Amino acid sequence: MISTTDQPASTAQTAIADASAATGLSSYDLPEKPLVTIVPHRSWVPLKLRDLWTSRELLYFLIWRDIKVRYKQTVLGAAWAVIQPLITMIIFTFFFGKLAQMPTEGVPSPIFFYTAVLLWTFFSNGVTNGANSLIGNSNLITKVYFPRLIIPAAAVGAGLLDFAIASVLLVGLIVYYGFAATWSYLLLLPIIVLTTLLSLGVGIWFSALNVKYRDVRYALPFLIQVWFFVSPIIYPSSLVPAEWRWLPALNPLTGIIESFRAVLFGRELPWNALTYSAALTLGMLVYSSYAFRRMERSFAELI
Amino acid sequence: MKPIIKVSNISKKFRITPGEAPSVRYDTLRESLVKLIRSPFARFRHNGADDTVWALKDVNFEVVPGEVMGIIGPNGAGKSTLLKVLSRIIEPTTGRAELYGRVASLLEVGTGFHPDLSGRENVYLNGAILGMKRREIESRFDEIVAFAEVERFIDTAVKHYSSGMYLRLAFAVAAHLDPEILIVDEVLAVGDASFQKKCLGKMDSVTQSGRTVLLVTHSLGMVQQLCRRAILFNEGRIYKMGPVDEVLSCYDQLCNPPRVSPEA
Repeated sequence: MISTTDQPASTAQTAIADASAATGLSSYDLPEKPLVTIVPHRSWVPLKLRDLWTSRELLYFLIWRDIKVRYKQTVLGAAWAVIQPLITMIIFTFFFGKLAQMPTEGVPSPIFFYTAVLLWTFFSNGVTNGANSLIGNSNLITKVYFPRLIIPAAAVGAGLLDFAIASVLLVGLIVYYGFAATWSYLLLLPIIVLTTLLSLGVGIWFSALNVKYRDVRYALPFLIQVWFFVSPIIYPSSLVPAEWRWLPALNPLTGIIESFRAVLFGRELPWNALTYSAALTLGMLVYSSYAFRRMERSFAELI
Repeated sequence: MKPIIKVSNISKKFRITPGEAPSVRYDTLRESLVKLIRSPFARFRHNGADDTVWALKDVNFEVVPGEVMGIIGPNGAGKSTLLKVLSRIIEPTTGRAELYGRVASLLEVGTGFHPDLSGRENVYLNGAILGMKRREIESRFDEIVAFAEVERFIDTAVKHYSSGMYLRLAFAVAAHLDPEILIVDEVLAVGDASFQKKCLGKMDSVTQSGRTVLLVTHSLGMVQQLCRRAILFNEGRIYKMGPVDEVLSCYDQLCNPPRVSPEA
């Protein structure tokens, strides 16, 4: 085998002469520092938020692709975004509202259920789509470099449009049941952002885990189902006996859903629960982003 | 002149599990947990050397701006692994590489093309995936479509394209990238003879424009035509590096030794 240690020096020099003579150009001035340095990493790596920011157009295009593809060749198109939560709400109103006489804190049961179903549909779809996003985009991961976090982020982000469409029905219900919109409705925005971030935090973590452990695909629907029942969707938190109320409050969605309802129905916000949810959400998002970055190095080899 | 690509001592080790198909090499959570319970310290133990393979071993080379470097070698020599490391798709096990320019890598044509989207939509999507800004894509859109010769079908879903049209459009997007460093893996030979000629012409003009190109291919004719220097890989190592004629004749000897090579 030919040694490569002494050979390159001479050949490189002839090539330098060749290249500059042949093209006579050096339009590109080399920067002092390399734009890209490739070295093996150990364990934790920085998030590189700047890389994410530079790739924001790709994020936009991937969201746009997900939305576009979802509604291609569907007859009802974007109406699906409303149909799903609407039918769920009707079923809940019938079974839990009419038959089971579930207390709804003095609010008509359709709007009581719809508020939570709307938020839950967005959240759970975000987690599910986010978790499966890396596997679904394996062709990209093995062929192109870009910050991998973009993929689960796009999957969660694509759900925002569905959420917006389904919200139209909520507006209708608010008007129909005569709730007065006030300035406090502006608080809905940070609550929705919080839901998105929580969905992102959970989705990112599962997406990375899903690459390594394919069990995630089977475990996730079950987890989502459990999460549904421990969240105050088909029941108000006040139904839980006072001494046990801390237990459902551990679930960050509890504070989010309760706050969402409180704002819409003109009640006092559960600030403690909301603060806890926000803190946990941010903690989750930071942790899962770092965990994702740590695992992403092996994505292309495992997927 | 300073090099634009500087590769020092890059090595890449892959773990192979003997007797297991590559498709099932991922773990299940249960297995990992069971392993952890059975032998909690196993992960700290060193693995035997027999279940690993060095896809790249101590690779050193430099490329100067404007150079078109051909990378050749038999299957499994480590060419694609090298490109994947330089494209930041996989991480090297040891070593360091420095790139003094923006990189675009084409390890495949049409990465991210979606069959349900139209030609127009795919140009934008694929361009964004390859690292183009939206404005860049907009300004080159007509050129790309004209190059691909699919003007009439640009608003048709690409799943209705013939495979030739599909590849032409995919190559056209890639050909209009404008990075300082272009990393290309065996994607040039697409379409019919006349389009292949056009592709080669485009590659020629790309290389004339001062772009630095790393080109992996099995087409020795293409290497001869486009490159001045080349690297011959064998079994993860650089076997020969230098002027293209020398490397090609060395490859010839490597491929046609007196006895039959097990690599082939």
